[in-house]
Amino acid sequence: SVCKFISYSVGVHKMRDKLRKWREDNHRNSEQIVDVGEELINEHASKLGDDIWIIYEQVMIAALDCSRDDLAWTCLQELKRQFPGSQRVKRLAGMRLEALEKYEDASKQYDSILQDDPTNTAARKRKISILKAQGKSAEAIRELNEYLEQFVGDQEAWHELSELYINEHDYGKAAFCLEELMMTNPHNHLYCEQYAEVKYTQGGLENLELSRKYFAQALKLNNRNMRALFGLYMSASHIAACPKVNATVKKANVKYAAWATNQINRAYQLAGRGTKENKCSVKAVEEMLESMQITMS
Amino acid sequence: MRMSIKLTTQAYCKMLLHAAKYPHCAVNGLLVAEKQKEKKKDSHSTPILCVDCIPLFHGTLALAPMLEVALTLIDTWCKENKYVIAGYYQANERTKDFRPNQVSEKVGARIAENFSEAAMIMVDSTRFTMGCYEPILAIYDHHENKWKCRDCNVDSFDDWCEAQKITSALLEGRSYESLIDFDNHLDDLRNDWTNPEINKSVLHLC
Repeated sequence: SVCKFISYSVGVHKMRDKLRKWREDNHRNSEQIVDVGEELINEHASKLGDDIWIIYEQVMIAALDCSRDDLAWTCLQELKRQFPGSQRVKRLAGMRLEALEKYEDASKQYDSILQDDPTNTAARKRKISILKAQGKSAEAIRELNEYLEQFVGDQEAWHELSELYINEHDYGKAAFCLEELMMTNPHNHLYCEQYAEVKYTQGGLENLELSRKYFAQALKLNNRNMRALFGLYMSASHIAACPKVNATVKKANVKYAAWATNQINRAYQLAGRGTKENKCSVKAVEEMLESMQITMS
Repeated sequence: MRMSIKLTTQAYCKMLLHAAKYPHCAVNGLLVAEKQKEKKKDSHSTPILCVDCIPLFHGTLALAPMLEVALTLIDTWCKENKYVIAGYYQANERTKDFRPNQVSEKVGARIAENFSEAAMIMVDSTRFTMGCYEPILAIYDHHENKWKCRDCNVDSFDDWCEAQKITSALLEGRSYESLIDFDNHLDDLRNDWTNPEINKSVLHLC
């Protein structure tokens, strides 16, 4: 009947849109992608038009994440058949080898891509990912630095490098990477806030003051960033409690911390409205802020 | 003689659900125990019972500010509920890497300052299965400024059979999709890091 047909294809559209949104947001919700994608591929392939190829790619990567080699293999075969000799498909074949922990074979696969196309950034990044997977952080960092000398505008790479440095507790170099990102993305509140966290972790009065400034900047860019708000509170409180600061600086930071306290309390009140469970969070936050006021004075 | 540590089903299962929710990330969190009323003379016979688990972060664990916020906030919450922070757990990013690192040792030491019998727990992801047939933890004690690994077996659990059965059931049912950690809470304050719904599920299955 006509009605059945309509509800059927609405379902397919919804599933396709879900997959597209997850692709655009770069969501790593692999189990859900496999659930939705596998059904689409198995039952509704004919209704997907040209979208099917990018869906095969997306589902394949998600399938590797879920150890579904059967599904990944199916997707790969379809892509190989449709795009013979494609570098992009070759890279996917390499990723499958990585998932099977066949790192040498995967590396050879990427090397062959790079032989044909030395500027293939995807293959270079996969090689660095292999080093990461093998726990060779120092090498991964070195390769990524070399990569960035050539591809200085690659934000994903700068961010990856900042994370590698943070994991090695090399906060100074992590800060440098985030500075690059902030320069090219001055309106991105997340980079500001992460930079502030790195500075705070580095410690010392100068870094604390810098961290406070960047938490404040992140808040200016997005006044709902709770990490920035908490960060502003913590950094200002620590500066105010520091015996080295003069009375003026102390007074200013007590003010910043008080303002942040207010905002934090407001945010919790707003969030806790109507829910019984959240009352404990609200109370805990109030008490925490009160107890820190005491240590500051 | 060191007091032994025991985990309830709720504590164990929330730890594993946290690790299952983010298989591609490092995760960490805290364990809480009920505050002991008085110090008994032969208190070494009473094990420390970790009754609950508070999942903290996933991804980058080596930054200080949010960890400080979480520790302070959860400490306040503990005081209200007559709990004490008794342990720290961590699962590393790489499956094969289950050794303690600088982060786990630092946070563990910090907790040990307030609770001398604090345990540092590393999750061994190589043995992580849906069936949960064996405990997959390595438990470390703070001893003369070093962390020493002690045996983790079924005796480390209040009721291993129950823990195994319920954790496995919740994994199969994908309960980890609704598990909330402190990171999720910071993303949206309405997300409750005490995980009341999962606690209910655990009770329901008991």
